[in-house]
Amino acid sequence: MTAPYFELGYFGERGALVAALVIGIAFGWCLESAGMGSARKLSAQFYLTDLTVFKVMFSAIVTAMLGLFWLGRLGVLDLSRVYVPETYILPQLVGGLIFGMGFALGGLCPGTSCVAAVTGRLDGAAVVLGMWSGVLATGLFFPSLQTFYEATPRGAFTLPQVFHLSHGVAVLIVVLVAISGFRGAEWIEGRFATHSKLSAPRNALRETPVAEGVGA
Amino acid sequence: MTVDRSRRLTRWLAVIAIVLAVLAPLAGSPYSSQHASIDVTSLARAVSREEDHVTALELAQWIKERRAGLRVVDVRSAEDYATFHVPRAEHLSLDSLASAPFRSDETIVLYSEGGTHAAQAWVFLRALGYRKVFFLRGGLYEWLDQVMNPTLADTTAAARAAFERAAVLSRYFGGVPRSDLRPSSEDAIRIPVADSASDRAAVQLPPKSSEAKLLQVRRRGC
Repeated sequence: MTAPYFELGYFGERGALVAALVIGIAFGWCLESAGMGSARKLSAQFYLTDLTVFKVMFSAIVTAMLGLFWLGRLGVLDLSRVYVPETYILPQLVGGLIFGMGFALGGLCPGTSCVAAVTGRLDGAAVVLGMWSGVLATGLFFPSLQTFYEATPRGAFTLPQVFHLSHGVAVLIVVLVAISGFRGAEWIEGRFATHSKLSAPRNALRETPVAEGVGA
Repeated sequence: MTVDRSRRLTRWLAVIAIVLAVLAPLAGSPYSSQHASIDVTSLARAVSREEDHVTALELAQWIKERRAGLRVVDVRSAEDYATFHVPRAEHLSLDSLASAPFRSDETIVLYSEGGTHAAQAWVFLRALGYRKVFFLRGGLYEWLDQVMNPTLADTTAAARAAFERAAVLSRYFGGVPRSDLRPSSEDAIRIPVADSASDRAAVQLPPKSSEAKLLQVRRRGC
């Protein structure tokens, strides 16, 4: 029996929703434990005083990538059944810029805004409201946005394809980049945190492995 | 958790990540099903230079001289294969091609009934990295026409010489070369019959009960 179980029909849509709920709650708990529900902590990313977001994101990427690679290699997971989102260069560039602006202004991204809202933070609720309004507006005006939405399509575009590498070599390079990134992030934090008054408040749970990433 | 313990743990996680990453390039593809990439330019070049296919007579010659590392692959249905197949051909369905145990130095010749499926299989195997892959362009029809039932097309010396060469191969495979210049269409449909006992042993003839099916294959669209 190989994963993904939903794709292979081992459980139906209801089962998938239950699994999503359980995984989502666990994910939210981990984010909050890592102090990621705080807009101050996330904003500190942009002032280079606390690069926890970078470390958490890259830790997640490396963990998921190594897991997918080795589970696929060992035959536990059928990677060809795992959906790879398509790349649309121009709309995703513009979308990324809008997302980045929202992230810098609000201090929260979609996942962390939900966590912040659930823990009773008003800024979190405002970001969730803004996100839903954006989704609704995009849906309403989709016919006029569609041409742009589907511009510059590249299909399921992955690093091994772009750089003509085997999957294993791509995995090695990403891990080396991540480890160097963690080292670099530590150095930057050390340099900027001492010179800035904007240092984020230290969360009591910051010393958990999730918050620290693998390079902390 | 103390800061020291946390640092030790993250250092261990980093070491595990690095070890798994260093082993990754040596582990091969993480995909259980075959995902191949196609060098379109190189494939197009092979097609335009006609390096992608062999003629039935070339294939017959290769089989006759027992060319080293030759694998003749029938990609038709198992039933069609059982009815009649090129001598020494093995049966492999299109589905099982990706996992077929070919060696990289083997010469693989694919054939199907007409040629389309074999040409598609050629693309699959080239995409998987096999270099010495060919397909029988006219498929089994070409084999039956040119090897099993070669006919003399005209009376020029060159045509006669070509016919004689084909006739030698045809007799080896139990075919019936015909030198009359105007065969009727029904006469041209022949069931291969070996000339001698030794030839008969070398050639896998269709069983009597399947002769009608073979005639059907011949009529379907030469």
